[in-house]
Amino acid sequence: MIIEIRTKEKYAANEERGFIGRMAHAGLKVRAARLSRLYRVDAGFSRAEFGRLGADLLTDRITETYSLSRPRPGIRGWRVEVWLKDSATDVVGESVRGAVADVLGKEPQAVRFGHAYYVACGSRAALRRAVEKTLVNGIINKFAIEKI
Amino acid sequence: MKRPRAIILRGTATNCDIETASSFKYVGAEPELVHINQLLAGERKVLDYDLMAFPGGFSYGDDISAGKIYAVKMAKLAGDFKAFIKGGRPVIGICNGFQILVKTGLLPANRANAQVSTLYTNDCGHFIAKWARLRVNKKSPCIFTKGLPDEIELPVAHGEGKFIVEDKRELAAITGGDLHALTYADNPNGSMLDIAGICSPAGTCFGLMPHPERNFFAWQHPDRPAAQRGAEAAGYQFFRNAVDYVR
Amino acid sequence: MNDLLLKFNTLSKNQLRRLDRACGWSLNADELAEAQRQFRRMGRAPARGELETIAQTWSEHCKHKTFSGPVTFRDGGKVKKYKNLFKETIVRATKTLNKKWCLSVFTDNAGIVEFGHSGKWGLAFKAETHNHPCAVEPYGGAETGVGGVIRDILGVGLGAKPVLNTDTFCFGRLDSKQKLPKNAHSPERIMRGVVEGVRDYGNRIGIPTAAGGIYFDEGYLLNPLVYVGCAGLIPVDKIHKEVKPGDLIVSIGGRTGRDGIHGATFSSANIDEDVSASAVQIGHAVNEKKALDALMRARDLGLYNAVTDCGAGGFSSAIGELGSETGARVRLEKALLKDTRIEPWEIWVSESQERMILSVPKAKLKRLAAILDAENCEYCVLGDFPGDGRLRVTWEGESVVDLPMAFLHGGVPNFEKEARRRAVRISSKPPAARSLSYGELLRRTLAHPNVCSRHSVITQYDHEVQGGTVGKPLQGRYGDGPGDAAVIWPHAATLDQSDFCGFAVSHGFNPALGRVDPYQMALHSVDEAVRNLLCAGADVSRTAILDNFCAASPRDPRVMGDLVLAAEGCHDAALTYGAPFISGKDSFYNQSRDADGKEYPIPISLLISATAPVADVRRSLTINFKEPGDPVYLAGDSLRGLGGSVYNELSPSGNNAVAALDMKGAVKLYAALSRAMAAGCVRAAHDVSQGGLAVTLAEMAFSGGYGASLDLRAAARERGLTPTELLFGESPARLVLEVAKGREGDFLRLVRGLPVAGLGCVKEEPVLAVRDGGTELFTEDLAGLKASWRKELI
Repeated sequence: MIIEIRTKEKYAANEERGFIGRMAHAGLKVRAARLSRLYRVDAGFSRAEFGRLGADLLTDRITETYSLSRPRPGIRGWRVEVWLKDSATDVVGESVRGAVADVLGKEPQAVRFGHAYYVACGSRAALRRAVEKTLVNGIINKFAIEKI
Repeated sequence: MKRPRAIILRGTATNCDIETASSFKYVGAEPELVHINQLLAGERKVLDYDLMAFPGGFSYGDDISAGKIYAVKMAKLAGDFKAFIKGGRPVIGICNGFQILVKTGLLPANRANAQVSTLYTNDCGHFIAKWARLRVNKKSPCIFTKGLPDEIELPVAHGEGKFIVEDKRELAAITGGDLHALTYADNPNGSMLDIAGICSPAGTCFGLMPHPERNFFAWQHPDRPAAQRGAEAAGYQFFRNAVDYVR
Repeated sequence: MNDLLLKFNTLSKNQLRRLDRACGWSLNADELAEAQRQFRRMGRAPARGELETIAQTWSEHCKHKTFSGPVTFRDGGKVKKYKNLFKETIVRATKTLNKKWCLSVFTDNAGIVEFGHSGKWGLAFKAETHNHPCAVEPYGGAETGVGGVIRDILGVGLGAKPVLNTDTFCFGRLDSKQKLPKNAHSPERIMRGVVEGVRDYGNRIGIPTAAGGIYFDEGYLLNPLVYVGCAGLIPVDKIHKEVKPGDLIVSIGGRTGRDGIHGATFSSANIDEDVSASAVQIGHAVNEKKALDALMRARDLGLYNAVTDCGAGGFSSAIGELGSETGARVRLEKALLKDTRIEPWEIWVSESQERMILSVPKAKLKRLAAILDAENCEYCVLGDFPGDGRLRVTWEGESVVDLPMAFLHGGVPNFEKEARRRAVRISSKPPAARSLSYGELLRRTLAHPNVCSRHSVITQYDHEVQGGTVGKPLQGRYGDGPGDAAVIWPHAATLDQSDFCGFAVSHGFNPALGRVDPYQMALHSVDEAVRNLLCAGADVSRTAILDNFCAASPRDPRVMGDLVLAAEGCHDAALTYGAPFISGKDSFYNQSRDADGKEYPIPISLLISATAPVADVRRSLTINFKEPGDPVYLAGDSLRGLGGSVYNELSPSGNNAVAALDMKGAVKLYAALSRAMAAGCVRAAHDVSQGGLAVTLAEMAFSGGYGASLDLRAAARERGLTPTELLFGESPARLVLEVAKGREGDFLRLVRGLPVAGLGCVKEEPVLAVRDGGTELFTEDLAGLKASWRKELI
């Protein structure tokens, strides 16, 4: 199960501005962007249990929302999903794995932490170039771009 | 006179535990560092102490968000913490400690004991360590800030210090009750109403982002020796007040 | 590959080379031949694990075979031969000085000197580099670099408590126009990643990052340098460690995984496009913090006999080192793993981060385990130290390594390197006429990337955690002036707030001088480091220093020539300043091919890290002007030469001479100034370094918010020195002092007969006006100077 956490729109201006600035530095003009945090929780939990993790553990209830399915943030363009390669130690994932046990009383097999970026910009190729230049490092990251 | 017992709560990567304990010791308390694991195992009980401190640091890496995992671990002991605060025993949460108090819903105090505010990522988007000028709210019931001058300096060191309250009534409760005991003169993180620290209506439970234990002695200030007047600096008063209160 | 391994003893030179390539060992032909000879003598083929162990143990990273090998140095007609360059320069100086306050030098994971007056404490200090990983993955590389040097401090003696982290970076110019090869990161990206890595690791683990520097030069475009250092406090009765036969081998902290394969040999391989993912790791500060907290408690309870860190070479190095006398029996199936898909020999050599190895008496294991559990620190018992001098490593009963320890630690073949003095044309003519006013030149110098404010980096580090950073990287009236040295009051380690003893840490670094004269570079760097300590009010007669050399390929005799000259400089400076080296590290092969396939070597780079005691931290000094009316003095002779200066970069003068440092004069001067400081005569002090005297004065003024009206007429100077050289020359052994108004007489008595000249006074009005006798040089308002200087680097 992938639990996706988003900053509520009214609090997201800073992180979006930061992202757009970073991409501009890498030579890509981004018209609009939304950012998400992704937690892939490998466990045979019920949907209600995943929901509890989303609400009680992974979300700041004042500034964030969560969803158990892919959200539609109203951006036309691309969705970039970035993870650490399986060979790289996922520090956040490990620590969340322990915290899940604190909340539910049972530990998942694994938790991996990633990011999703919803980006309104030019071509996929230009986006890929900018992502490789500033956002990911092929040595430790894997990423995918899809049309939305 | 009896030395009040101070419980200095720690966990993995609570980094400011020793200097916080030393500060309490200096003002005459008897501090003890207690790991949350010891509380959960029943080896120590918070109600056996007179004072409580949540020091700064990066508890459990601040993964997910600052103080969150520590707050989750405290959930099982919520009754004890509430009773401690309700009994009027002083509690101070500094930096990560403030973040923990906010994420557990212990601050701002509210009937449902729910999280009604947050400390979010600084406007600049990253961790920042610098000295901040702070205004002391003289009307505040906060017992920790009594006797301080109108303006003091303390260092801040945090990535998530932007204080946000969503609910207008909750915000009104803070401003109406003068619970915002400390505000920034030059807001470093984008906090609402420049809030740097808030207390409970009784003034005994206090959380703040700046570090009083880092401006405890005059020589900890960046402008020395010209600014050196006497040994103790502004941060000392916070700890002195807590110990005086319980004596 | 397995076929080649089975036939190892009969392989030809070429086949050995191919095998080495395939396995990624980075062993050279002589070393491969030596390994072959050894196994022929034993009359059996090696196991993969055995060759891996040899590759790790003999690697450049672990053995430092270049620096500690034989060298023949040619300088014109002169020839000098060294059997062991390191021992005959750096180590020799320390031996000659034979200071009794040096408690442990060159033998352990860090050097240790006495700390404080109580006789109870030692100060451990160590710096190393993590260059190649930072070039490939800046964030993870910097994190694991910081984590690694912290473990050196945790693993010195029976463990020191870290109280300070230092970092010095070298990057390519951010405005570089040079075309980068594929897969090379831009300097901006490397800097951002490195800063964030140091930040996230240091902040999470709760150690203040409070000293260091950032240096930009095109020479580092493809090979950034990341020096990381750590200092810690250790009780003197915990310095001695000794593995006892029968002790258990206990690994604590992180788990072992494939992520850590081949880091040690990687550090000397040319970075090319197919660097494997496993050579790069992400740091896990929280795991290291757990190990730190548990280790300090266990140390104080005496629950183990020895400890060392798992660094390069992983278990193979750490256990091999601890068991070098006793031997070791290791059962790899006991190791806690990140992932079960790993070969036994990989477990043995994996460099997965955040692990420490302890030698634990059987009877104490239970108490140790209770402490580790209480901190949620994972551990496993890997085997024992039997006392038979043999290294036996098994996995589920199957042999992985079975060798005598003596073979591993004795057998490294070393071969002679050629060294030659580099030909450099030196011009010492007067500087060419300038086209800009001195005021404009000063503003441009202040804005130069190697001079401007580092606040945007420093403020990302929690430089005051532990509450002991009394001398801050940002200081003065507005908390933003550039401090010369960190002054640490380690009360969070000693738990004694009534003892005001502290220590200062500073650096000296100037590769631009090294391009002209590596010998003088070394002298100037030691001098700069000592002078920075002095400016903080430290007792410089008790300075201890670290050397960290980074260089390009030692196959180039000119690179080796630079190294020889710099090492000789280190020796001479250490002797004259009475400042022994207590630890050091070196990194070679910092050289890559650029986009056109041309070799791109770094300049010879020597970081001197220095520490000295501060008798009372409350009286340590800062750089900012403090009281209008206080007299301002310049100490030291100003010498000719603009070689390596910032001025030359901004306005090429045609003069590239480097002033020769008068070390004896400097030592005498500093001793007198030190007495004046101890007597309370001095209110502020700041060294003259990059950018020259004009920059020093500007920084003291705007950090304090007070101006000054100064006349340089009385300043001691070499004949023929031009005003340009006086203002912007970077000749060594100079500092500016603000003297307390009422104490001027005492001050002058203490410095009588020395080159110390009154320049004028601090003024309330925020204007810096400087003249040289009848010639007005510049009058600038402080706000403008500060605005030029205060750039956002990141």
